[in-house]
Amino acid sequence: MIMLVILIPVLTGVLVPLIPFKKRSHMELFLETMVILNSLLVWYLLMNRSESIFTLANFTGNLSISFKVDGMSIVFGGLVSALWPFATLYAFEYMTKEEHEKVFFMFYTMTYGVTLGISLAANLLTMYFFYELLTLVTVPLVMHTLTREAILASRKYLYYSLGGAAFAFIGLIFVIIYGSTTNFVLGGVLDLQKIGDRTDILLLIYVIAFMGFGVKAAICPFNSWLPDAGVAPTPVTALLHAVAVVKSGAFAIIRLTYYSFGTEFLKGTWAQNVVMAIVMFTIVYGCSRAVKETHIKRRLAYSTISNLSYILFGVTLMTPLGMVGALSHLIFHAVMKISSFFCAGAIMHQTDRHYVHELDGMGYKMPAVFGVFTVSALALMGVPGLAGFVSKWNLASAAVDNGNCLAYGGIACLLISALLTAIYMLTIVVRAFFPGKDFDAGSLEGVKDPNWKMLLPLFVFTFFIILFGLRSAPVVEFLSDVAAGIY
Amino acid sequence: MCYMILSIFFPILAGIFLLVRKEMKVRKHLLFLTGSFLVLEGILVILAISLAKGELLLLFNLTDRLPILFKIDEVSIIFSALAIVIFLCAGFFSFEYMKHEEKEKRYYGYYLIVLGVLVALCFAGNLITFYLFFELLTLSSMPLVLHNRSREAIMAGLKYLFYSLAGAYMALFGLYFIEKYGNTLTFSAGGVISAQTAEDHMVLLLGIAFVMLLGFGVKAGMFPMHAWLTAAHPAAPAPASAVLSAVIVKAGVLAIVRVVYYIFGASFLRGSWVQKVWLILTLITIFMGSMLAYREPVLKKRLAYSTISQVSYILFGLAVMDGDSVTGGFLHVLSHGFIKAALFLCAGAMIYMTGRTKVKELRGIGKEMPILLWCYTIVSLGLIGIPPTGGFISKWYLALGSLNSGISGFGLAGPIVLLVSALLTAGYLLPVTIHGFLPGEEFDGNTLERKEPSLFMLIPIIVLTVLTVAIGLFPNGIISYLSQIITKII
Amino acid sequence: MDLVQNFPAVSILLCLFAGIISSGLKEKAARYVNTVLIATVMFLNACTLGYVLHTGEAFVYVMGKFPAPWGNEIRVGVLECFMALFFCIIMLLSLLGGRKKLADEVEEGKTFLYYVLMNLLLSSLLALVYTNDLFTAYVFVEINTIAACGLIMIRQNGRTIEAAARYMIMSLLGSGMLLMGICMLYDLTGHLLMSNIKEQVAILSASGEYRIPLLVTIALMSVGLAIKSALFPFHAWLPDAYGYSTVSSAAVLSSLVSKGYIFLLIKIIYRVIGFDIFEASKIIDVLFVFGLMGMIFGSLSAIKENDVRRMIAYSSVAQIGYIYMGIGMGTQAGMAASVFHILSHAATKSLLFIAAIGLTDVSGGSRKFIDLTGAAYRNKWAGVTFTVGSLSMVGVPLFSGFISKLLFAQAAVQNNGKMLPALIVLGISTILNAIYFMKTVIRIYTPVEENKYECITFKDMKLYAVTLVCFIVLNVILGVSSQPIVDLIEQGLAMFS
Repeated sequence: MIMLVILIPVLTGVLVPLIPFKKRSHMELFLETMVILNSLLVWYLLMNRSESIFTLANFTGNLSISFKVDGMSIVFGGLVSALWPFATLYAFEYMTKEEHEKVFFMFYTMTYGVTLGISLAANLLTMYFFYELLTLVTVPLVMHTLTREAILASRKYLYYSLGGAAFAFIGLIFVIIYGSTTNFVLGGVLDLQKIGDRTDILLLIYVIAFMGFGVKAAICPFNSWLPDAGVAPTPVTALLHAVAVVKSGAFAIIRLTYYSFGTEFLKGTWAQNVVMAIVMFTIVYGCSRAVKETHIKRRLAYSTISNLSYILFGVTLMTPLGMVGALSHLIFHAVMKISSFFCAGAIMHQTDRHYVHELDGMGYKMPAVFGVFTVSALALMGVPGLAGFVSKWNLASAAVDNGNCLAYGGIACLLISALLTAIYMLTIVVRAFFPGKDFDAGSLEGVKDPNWKMLLPLFVFTFFIILFGLRSAPVVEFLSDVAAGIY
Repeated sequence: MCYMILSIFFPILAGIFLLVRKEMKVRKHLLFLTGSFLVLEGILVILAISLAKGELLLLFNLTDRLPILFKIDEVSIIFSALAIVIFLCAGFFSFEYMKHEEKEKRYYGYYLIVLGVLVALCFAGNLITFYLFFELLTLSSMPLVLHNRSREAIMAGLKYLFYSLAGAYMALFGLYFIEKYGNTLTFSAGGVISAQTAEDHMVLLLGIAFVMLLGFGVKAGMFPMHAWLTAAHPAAPAPASAVLSAVIVKAGVLAIVRVVYYIFGASFLRGSWVQKVWLILTLITIFMGSMLAYREPVLKKRLAYSTISQVSYILFGLAVMDGDSVTGGFLHVLSHGFIKAALFLCAGAMIYMTGRTKVKELRGIGKEMPILLWCYTIVSLGLIGIPPTGGFISKWYLALGSLNSGISGFGLAGPIVLLVSALLTAGYLLPVTIHGFLPGEEFDGNTLERKEPSLFMLIPIIVLTVLTVAIGLFPNGIISYLSQIITKII
Repeated sequence: MDLVQNFPAVSILLCLFAGIISSGLKEKAARYVNTVLIATVMFLNACTLGYVLHTGEAFVYVMGKFPAPWGNEIRVGVLECFMALFFCIIMLLSLLGGRKKLADEVEEGKTFLYYVLMNLLLSSLLALVYTNDLFTAYVFVEINTIAACGLIMIRQNGRTIEAAARYMIMSLLGSGMLLMGICMLYDLTGHLLMSNIKEQVAILSASGEYRIPLLVTIALMSVGLAIKSALFPFHAWLPDAYGYSTVSSAAVLSSLVSKGYIFLLIKIIYRVIGFDIFEASKIIDVLFVFGLMGMIFGSLSAIKENDVRRMIAYSSVAQIGYIYMGIGMGTQAGMAASVFHILSHAATKSLLFIAAIGLTDVSGGSRKFIDLTGAAYRNKWAGVTFTVGSLSMVGVPLFSGFISKLLFAQAAVQNNGKMLPALIVLGISTILNAIYFMKTVIRIYTPVEENKYECITFKDMKLYAVTLVCFIVLNVILGVSSQPIVDLIEQGLAMFS
């Protein structure tokens, strides 16, 4: 059953170029049906989860490829499977202007399966395996346009990701050797007797592995692939480089920290301080780069860098509350960022404008898109009543509760970043709705909102941003249960 | 209770309604609609504060520990009354003034939303509600600032936005900690921090208090984060400047009142380094604002600098934490509100009628619009602090409180700075009057004809002038009302 | 004595015999003989492996009638059999994959010589693997060198002759050092049979006599074999030799010949010097350091390279660095990892060479990257295979490279002193590997606007495609079900001592 949800998208992807579709709409129908079907399956699986571990194959020794549904899987798998059908719908419309659609949809759908693989993995090795696979199946998506720029970007992406994995791999080895098992157990699996006096080495390895997985989560100084990868078509940038891929990095770090090394072992050590400092720096760095950037998608990419580090900040607090904060930002940021990316994509699709200064006065021509964009901007800033506020609140109160001075600094970073977020997001909004006096309305002749395939996902995401903002309690309660190990 | 909800959400919805509906063909319809909305809101607010006082209204829970809560207490009443009066006056003023601006509908839409948000801010029963509407206030008032869409205005609007948000985030920083150490965010007179917690986490909490003061101080134009004010207020259309300077700045004051007296409690902060630094900051602001205003040639900017200085009078009163000084602060909230609104409206009327913006250019204006200039003169005297205006009473109490407080050094330094600043105030406000009525011999006044502004403009100004004088003549009612508050919070 | 026990000796003799016969045969017949020979030897060794596994202990087979210490012996253990079997598989696949190309590159009428050389090479490899006698080992080292030279030179152009000359000089230097080492050992111990020497060495080292001569001996032999197996910094001969010779030669040279020497070194370590004595000497650290440097510098050179064949060749330098790093770790686990990497590298590198030839063939024979653009669309099989090989090299799970990386890292963790450098270099070298292999993969999958070259379909290259599939399968088997193989290696290493 678990294998099925991973295999269906992969097979669907493989089938896309093989089946001779008569019309484009047939392909759309086929893909959408399969994706929705799979999402329903995933949800069924997550709802009726079984405690047992499903083992597919054994590698050397006690290493195996095996799957299990636990709390974290529910969070990440549920998130991904909820977003994917919408993103696919959006992609149908967006891709009408691009070439090689079939290849695109092939890899796009395969990525779905691989991402689910990451979320359902029961041990570090399986996760690592899918983590590498994820890199490989997403590279063709980045180089989709085959321009020189795209190829360079995809190469960079590949080097960074594989390189990161190489260092994460070292962490894997240590968990294999010093852990009682490689399976994920909340609270960690390290065997203190085996460690003996090698605590410092293990902490060092933790930092290295953190940085390794952090490459995908775009922590500074390993972040430059993410803005570059923005040359990919927007559905990719939105779903993969705001949700699936980068969140896999964050997800992997959560697994590493809470389920493998264990917070007991890490909390209060220098390693915690180091990673927290790096993350804090990234938060501010990402935002300030975003302010400087004038290309819309690159700006959003830098914003992603900063927001990912919000999640990681929660992780590095190493308390259950911190994990709740991290997980809630993981979910909420996904919705917010995918929404703002889709807006950017819609703008590019409708008008072929890519830079912030080209957006003057468009708010009146594309009210729906810019309305949605404004909501997501406000949510990212953390205005109360929208999703972003809740997750920031959770993060910050976890940091307060942590009592570590560095964590207080982290709150300050969060707030500085919120201010910078306001700067880079609201300047777009202000431009769109309040163009300068010299603005020539004639230049926007014929610009209008896109059709329903693009708008529906946008509205759904906006609805959820507001819903999560107003009624976050059930979600947060669930996350607390996850962090407490009830799931 | 329903009045409370209505008085908050009615103007917001009305504003949104105006924003989304199509451009109206006949301008009068728009004005009529807006006017009736404003009046209706006025009635609603009066009903709310008279009927629903003290009631607790839980709107919903943002999260488990963050309820959106409204409660009307005495402080709410003072601030909301001020807000509604000035919004009505400035609103009617703009019916005439906005003729020469574009996109009126948008202006009125945001104007109404800001009013609703302000009322909500006044009624907020806990810090998170307050914070929510504080942010919304910034966001919804920004379009007023950049209304005329000149490059300058847009930059000013953004500056306003980012400064305010920075302040709000500093406050939010404190919020996180209060939630943990105070265990609640609900306002209660005298503070929510228990003595034990205060003792255990003294250093941390004082730091937090200071950060929050600075943060909310941004909105109140307190040094060192005051630079947005002189950019934003003059850039807006005159009635909007009036509202910004007279009321929205007061939101910062309200915030500080809530934080100092309803969250931390006066007893916690009294005598600490935070109080001292705060006092120094306010005194610097008072002096600096006056000095800068004195040097400023453009009338509206001059008034904006004056706002910086005058609002810090209020903050000074609050910072002294003495019964009398706090009374003075509250009185100054009202009198400065009326005066500054009147001044901005006067300046707006002058610009509207003559197109002249600099003080130098206003020579002989008394010949053209004597009534307007008389009003200007009366309220100016009020701001300087000459009896029988409201300004005199409030400054009297401020000085009295400061001398009584016995804070070493500041007790005396305060009144001196106030006095110097009052002189400067005279120096920057009265030249308009003097040159207006007495343009000098060499000035050729024959070309000037009498062209008093229309009644839409004149009446609001006169109403505000009368109110200013009224506070000065009959302060007892208000003072006794204020003493109810003072006994609770000091 | 069981019949099976004769098989190793028979297979060596068969190879020599086949070499002699082939020299009188026509090309086709020679090819046929060669293929049959390899298959037969494969079968024989498989039987032996089964036998040894069944009995659970190694056996010694005495050549001729003279018992030790005068006679010549063969020693057969699990690891030896397995290695021999594996070498046969790789050789068979490499020859099959490069067969078509061979006809183009080797002069008409000389092809039979190629097979003669191959037969000789196989015989020498088997001998290196099985022999229990140091001098025999030396003799076959020389045969091996000469055969390899011939294999390089048989493609006649200026480059190959130069490469062969270089290879010859370096190799002879290596063999010379090995010979000196053997002489000194003979001097010190009075024996040439490995097991006898080991006893004597143990006594010597226990008594503390001849400490320095012993050290020099170890150094001479290690360095000699290191030169021959192209350990950094003795790798200068390698890129030309692998880069310009005909493709089967390159595949065989890189995956078998150098591995044969390494295997001999491992044998010397275990069976001649003794693992503990070797570990105690400082030579091991030198090997470790050179291994690490090879991992980095080999990859760096590969990144700079603009010729795909030479790039793969430089990658070999890096991979040999891995193996020496494992040996230099000085633990059983490190040694096991090295042996596994011998297998996995042999499987992957020959695959890469064979796949690369498919790609260059559809790019007008050019090996420059710019011409390879889009080659994977023109020859889909080679494209996929090359990708698999690259992923394996980078260490993506499912493929053999991942397991060796895993084993290396696990071994490194257990050695306190060498843990951090080993792990960090492992990480860096993975990144470097990723850079040049993935660059190539992206390049061959970048479509070109107008297709200058024609595409090749399955029909045109049935044998080639089947070979490629076999390679992939081999690689995946090593990657997925590595546990039995690792067990086998550990069992074999245990049998050594």
